[in-house]
Amino acid sequence: MRIALAGNPNSGKTTMYNALTGKNEKVGNWAGVTVDKRESSLKKGFCKEECVIVDLPGAYSMSPFTSEESITSSYVKNEKLDVIINIVDATNLSRSLFFSTQLLDLSIPVVIALNKNDINVKKDTQINEKLLSEKLNCPVIKTVSTSSEGLKEVIEKAILVKGKKQISPYHEASYDHSLKSEVEKADRKRFDFVSEIVKQVETRKIETNVRNQQDRLDDIITNPLFGLPLFAIVMFCVFYISQSTIGPWLADYLVGWIETFQGYVGNLLANANPFLQALIVDGIIGGVGAVVGFLPLVMVMYFLLALLEDCGYMARATVVLDPVFKKVGLSGKSVIPMIIGTGCAIPAIMACRTIRNERERRATAMLTPFMPCGAKLPVIALFAGAFFPDVPWLGTMMYFVGILLILIGAFIVKAVTGFKYRKSFFIIELPEYKIPSLKLAVTSMFERGKAYIVKAGTIILVCNTVVQIMQSFNWSFQVVEAGLESTSILASLATPIAYILIPITGVCAWQLAAASITGFIAKENVVGTLAVCYGLSAFIDTEELALIGSGNVVMTTMAITKVAALAYLMFNLYTPPCFAALGAMNSEMKSKKWLLAAIFLQLGMGYTVAFLVYQIGTIMTIHTLGPGFLPGLLIVLFFIGCILLRIHKTNIELKEEK
Amino acid sequence: MNLTNAEIGKEYIIQSIDTQDDELNSFLFTLGCYSGQAITVLANKKNGIVISIKDSRYNIDLNLANLISII
Repeated sequence: MRIALAGNPNSGKTTMYNALTGKNEKVGNWAGVTVDKRESSLKKGFCKEECVIVDLPGAYSMSPFTSEESITSSYVKNEKLDVIINIVDATNLSRSLFFSTQLLDLSIPVVIALNKNDINVKKDTQINEKLLSEKLNCPVIKTVSTSSEGLKEVIEKAILVKGKKQISPYHEASYDHSLKSEVEKADRKRFDFVSEIVKQVETRKIETNVRNQQDRLDDIITNPLFGLPLFAIVMFCVFYISQSTIGPWLADYLVGWIETFQGYVGNLLANANPFLQALIVDGIIGGVGAVVGFLPLVMVMYFLLALLEDCGYMARATVVLDPVFKKVGLSGKSVIPMIIGTGCAIPAIMACRTIRNERERRATAMLTPFMPCGAKLPVIALFAGAFFPDVPWLGTMMYFVGILLILIGAFIVKAVTGFKYRKSFFIIELPEYKIPSLKLAVTSMFERGKAYIVKAGTIILVCNTVVQIMQSFNWSFQVVEAGLESTSILASLATPIAYILIPITGVCAWQLAAASITGFIAKENVVGTLAVCYGLSAFIDTEELALIGSGNVVMTTMAITKVAALAYLMFNLYTPPCFAALGAMNSEMKSKKWLLAAIFLQLGMGYTVAFLVYQIGTIMTIHTLGPGFLPGLLIVLFFIGCILLRIHKTNIELKEEK
Repeated sequence: MNLTNAEIGKEYIIQSIDTQDDELNSFLFTLGCYSGQAITVLANKKNGIVISIKDSRYNIDLNLANLISII
């Protein structure tokens, strides 16, 4: 038996899906959190029969407007569904029932879940669900999906109506579907039908079109003047708490346990083959442990972001940022992928689908990876903690630099594509503010934590093992002797890249180059590989209960200056993301030209920023140019030249068009 | 007049939406934003205006607000 969940955006479909299936899919209170369908089997407690639940992206109607909406309408029309559960936002019947009547036309049995009933109870809005059920010819059940209220009954009804033919309550006169005016005329009649029903079944005590407390709060939060600084402060707090206070504090304990475990295994293997011992203790446990040690930072960040999203702030953030993004040719819609991008670039790039304008959509997919993702967090935390222990806001700064690069990048894309002034429209639903759900935040945190550990135990583990083996052997497959590490396979492969990095790090270190390369597989690898190559296991000092203090091992082993460390960090953050994210970019952009341009832009921007930071920083600190200034400058000039040439070409083309 | 010079909190009727963009038009339609429907402006700021249609709040930018004529 297949049951689909369909309804308007932000009606609570994914929350219900999670409650029905026991999954923990990402939920959010804005349109576009779910951009693709997903399915899973129903929890056994609800129904004895084998049953699959399909979660569909939100849609306002069957006539496709955005691509997520067309997924929904084509799925509902073409797949063999047994029952549709139509989730209706009970606080907004007048809009939601339009889609419901369209679903009821499809002859597939429909059960309506009148969701968010708790809010109606609070506002004393009454809905006569018996009458509504009669009017619509289908069962109507009041639900609260956040607390699973009414869900059992919904499933019971779904099983009951299975196999019956749905009789539509609304009889539409036949008309010419190809004529726009005819379609609109028919849709107007449908809306009139809905309004008539709503009038009969709903009694409201509080009118919705009157200014209330929430609107006054919005005046402050989305104020054109204070809104932006407020957004900056809010984001700063999220990053600061997760990366400089509570996060590292928790990480200390975790690292202590990992070290104890490493020591224990080391003792067990004391008499084993030295290569095997190094592989297991330093390579696998050391490398993976270095990455896992940063887990609490990721989890705390997710907890805070989930609270922030759930209370309704994020929709307001898009309103505040819309004018800023419009100036560089994007729109407030581009903010959503970027916020998702603090978690992982792949869902963020997929979320670009909600942007209608093709150029805007591709540009957003191209620039979203500049926002440091969860996998880059350990890299940031490592360098910030090891080299700048007295600058607690440094990690947080990396996110703001990311936003700045997005704006600069957008500006470049705008110039290169010859963006003609085109009116772009921005509309976003403002969900009501509410007290965020702790349960949801905790679930989101653990879900993220689990994914992080799984990744560390799979991809990162494999990579670290390979790195350890490659650095233990030379090309004649003999174990590299101590002191001759630069003859290893890894060193000889990474050295050419190390030369390119001289203008950024000031030294020719194959270890740093190797870490950057493995970073393209997964960004956590930067930390893992550095740990393996430099033989450092734990990056967090358990005795001082803080991320490693000044004059520590990491700084001395890597033998690079603070400025170089910052430049190298930024190089790793802002160059192209991992291969998986590039794959996502490829499938969303649907253009090889755009993909290549994106990789070129990311490489160029990342290198340029790192070069400038290192060289300018070196001039400021020791009043001399850093090594490799000239070759580095040539690379940067080549990049800038390519872009200027491209812009010039576009300008000529634009002139010719005129 | 259009939405940008509407009185805050007063209910108006949408007269027309002046766009050739069919997609935008049909999207607004599904939200209940089409001629003949009631609309109320709840805030008017430099970075957009807040409207209430069919029991929901939306923030729309000024470009869009300028297209919606009301009486």
